[in-house]
Amino acid sequence: MRRTARAAIPAFRAPAPAGSEDVHAQVLANGMQVIVWPVHQIPNVALNLWVRAGSRNERPGITGLAHFFEHMMFNGTRTRAPGEFDRLMEARGGANNAFTSDDVTVYEDWFPSSALELVLELEADRVANLAFVPQLIESERGVVASERRLRVEDNNHGLLAERVQAAAFTEHPYRFPTIGWPEDIRAWRLEDLQAFYTTYYAPNNLTLTLAGDLDPRQAVQLVRRYFEPIAAQAPPAPVREREPPQQAERRVKIRRQVQTPVVQCAYKAPAAADESASAIHLLMSVLMEGDASRLHRALVEERRLAIEVGGHWQEGFDPGLLWLSLTLPQHTDPHAALAALDAELARVIETGVTQVELERARNLAIVGFWKRLATIDGKAHLLGEYAVFHPHWSELFEAPQRLAAVTREQLRGVAAEILAVSQRTVGILAPAARRTKDQG
Amino acid sequence: MVRVPEHERLVLDNGATVILLPRREVPLLACQVLLRGGSVVDPPAAPGVASLVAALLEKGAGERDAYAFAEAVEGAGGSFGAVAGPEAIALRSQFLARDQGLMLELLADTLREPRLEAEEFEHLRARQIEFIKAVKDSEPAELIDAYGRALLFAGHPYAQPVHGSEASLGRIAHAHVLDYYRTNFGADRLILVLAGDLDIHRAEHDVRAAFADWPNAAVRTTLGVPPSQAGRRVLLIDAPEAAQTHFWIGAPGVDRRYAHRAALDLVNTLFGGRFTSLLNAELRIKSGLSYGARSGFVRGSVAGEFAIRSFVETAKTARAIHMALQALERLRRDGVSAEMLASARAYTLGQYALGLETAADWAAALADIEFFGLGTSYIDEYPARLAEVDPQAARRVIDEAFPTSEQVTLVVIGDAARIGGQLGEFGPVINMRLTDPEFAPPI
Repeated sequence: MRRTARAAIPAFRAPAPAGSEDVHAQVLANGMQVIVWPVHQIPNVALNLWVRAGSRNERPGITGLAHFFEHMMFNGTRTRAPGEFDRLMEARGGANNAFTSDDVTVYEDWFPSSALELVLELEADRVANLAFVPQLIESERGVVASERRLRVEDNNHGLLAERVQAAAFTEHPYRFPTIGWPEDIRAWRLEDLQAFYTTYYAPNNLTLTLAGDLDPRQAVQLVRRYFEPIAAQAPPAPVREREPPQQAERRVKIRRQVQTPVVQCAYKAPAAADESASAIHLLMSVLMEGDASRLHRALVEERRLAIEVGGHWQEGFDPGLLWLSLTLPQHTDPHAALAALDAELARVIETGVTQVELERARNLAIVGFWKRLATIDGKAHLLGEYAVFHPHWSELFEAPQRLAAVTREQLRGVAAEILAVSQRTVGILAPAARRTKDQG
Repeated sequence: MVRVPEHERLVLDNGATVILLPRREVPLLACQVLLRGGSVVDPPAAPGVASLVAALLEKGAGERDAYAFAEAVEGAGGSFGAVAGPEAIALRSQFLARDQGLMLELLADTLREPRLEAEEFEHLRARQIEFIKAVKDSEPAELIDAYGRALLFAGHPYAQPVHGSEASLGRIAHAHVLDYYRTNFGADRLILVLAGDLDIHRAEHDVRAAFADWPNAAVRTTLGVPPSQAGRRVLLIDAPEAAQTHFWIGAPGVDRRYAHRAALDLVNTLFGGRFTSLLNAELRIKSGLSYGARSGFVRGSVAGEFAIRSFVETAKTARAIHMALQALERLRRDGVSAEMLASARAYTLGQYALGLETAADWAAALADIEFFGLGTSYIDEYPARLAEVDPQAARRVIDEAFPTSEQVTLVVIGDAARIGGQLGEFGPVINMRLTDPEFAPPI
């Protein structure tokens, strides 16, 4: 059998993605940003409506409101009864979803291109005319409570992350859980909802992206027809809170009836638009992406202190968190796992990463970039992400070049800057003392 | 409309099936391999062998040990992973197009010269047991099908947990893994699809060089039809302190070659397959009881299952189960109207192309139709079949494939101390604990 001998595989030089030169962007008279990417692979369109509102825009007492809005946006307008949005969209072949983060709320539709006008009309209608039916608000509180039980109360990773994030920030609203504290979910008033809607669901606070089987000029004309009549509002007040520098490590401990302990470390990290973003992505990849990564090898394969290593950088408008998390085998001491993690991180800070590791991370990032660009959903999402969190959407197309420029020294630099013990909050979730058999 | 793209299909002399499909939107190459076998050929006393074999395939092959293998894959930015299903081991891989040669080399090594080392086996087995515990701790709903299938198909290989149970994994020896490879790997079991930015002539050459002399597997697989089950029963799995109850309402369904698939898809879309479905309307939209409720069919080569899934606050468990059963009774009684079918048809067609967008999507779809012997008309003629479905055709599949509310098996995972009393009305209750190391209740 033929063998391929390779040491460090050189980074792939990427051609420009097909169709990117056709991307058409425009700002409507009311300040709404529209970006259209025509691709004709399949007869469908993916739409993203990015709202610059997340739990970052909340205050104590109304936590979870941005996420609650994500639910209420499906519950009827002054011109359409509750349920009509989904009924009409599905009857024309469309499906939809939405998600909320610390920073944004994003509405997503996927539909045959023949339904473009209907979908734009439906989206504009709920931005302009949302109704607040008291009975539906109550019913939707129940749905959100169910979602919270699923993602937080009955999920050890979700529960621990919520408490870690609340401890990591003392001043900045990133301390609020996006789904909201249970007491707040029960307590919002109609006025809270109305004020939030007027402020944040204004066209000047929105970015609309479309990717798929459409003609950009016609698409923009339709967007203008339905969205341009919506009046701009005074821009939302900027989030002024700045998190004071962290002085020392913080720790959160939870004990409950579980078999497998969980350890999470959340390090203070820069905002999404930071110039070190590519280096941070590559550092994360070196640490925990795939079976060849540092932490997987050391903690899962060699020391066997974890069954899984994960992590992500929460990229937002403001400096946020970089997470590393470990799921441990039963009866493993979380402190031993944490010590082993620390030893690996210290090694990266001290001696950096190898060229082989850097090229591996770079190649994984390039393939990841192409995988996302392989679908209209990925294209619509990436355009929105870059338009909202970066100075300009076109930076999306420079991602491969930025990855190519990152050096080993830069990786060591961001490791030293971010992975400091004093800058982190550690969460440990471990089994409660065992119950006796007849109690269990 | 969606049609299967031009592709090349080869059957090598030894029976291996190879499909090559060029597609060049992005500089990626996707591969989907199916090897007949899977958990249905696991020893009845030790399900989970196929799953461990699949996991071991990427833990060293040919001249590479586990680390060198991972380094070869990830160093090129690629991905490579195998996972067992009930009737096959599926291997998926994606690389940059420039690495076609490397991808095929790794694939050939994996299938023909996997190392299956004892030490890697021991570690994977231990890790798999811990994974089950971790899922029980945080996402028990992921395991609800395994409990359901153990009851629904008791006595048949479909009842076996695909990834094993904590107890069965403990019983698996390294010899089981070697035996699985010896008897269940071979050219006649192989379906290999390469799709993407492909050098088709080189791919054909490399595939022939790698697999043309591969012998057939030592045994042939046969799978009987599972016995039918009668009467309603309830399996209650105690998860102390759980804030929410997960429930699964299942029944035998239909197999993969069921003739009325288009009608089946449309009726399920209306019943529990989309946001405005009857089930989700009852449990979420109208009542606010749950974040979501869905139904679906899993269709294997000789049988299949129908299941409803949802979750609800502990105190409202019985109420939610009632609502789901009532929705099922209403479907059975009232059927669906022409107007409802028109909406479901538009929805199904409108979403169809989104699942067949990338080279990896096509690789998976072509491997699947090859595996079940469905032919490309399964994809090309689907829109025409959807167009033919009228309320009478829908009525037929409701009668044939959807159970009555009296024929279902219920699996409930939740805090038994707080819900136990609510369930007696649904049928005889069997009790287990979530920490029990098996998915099947003791006989």
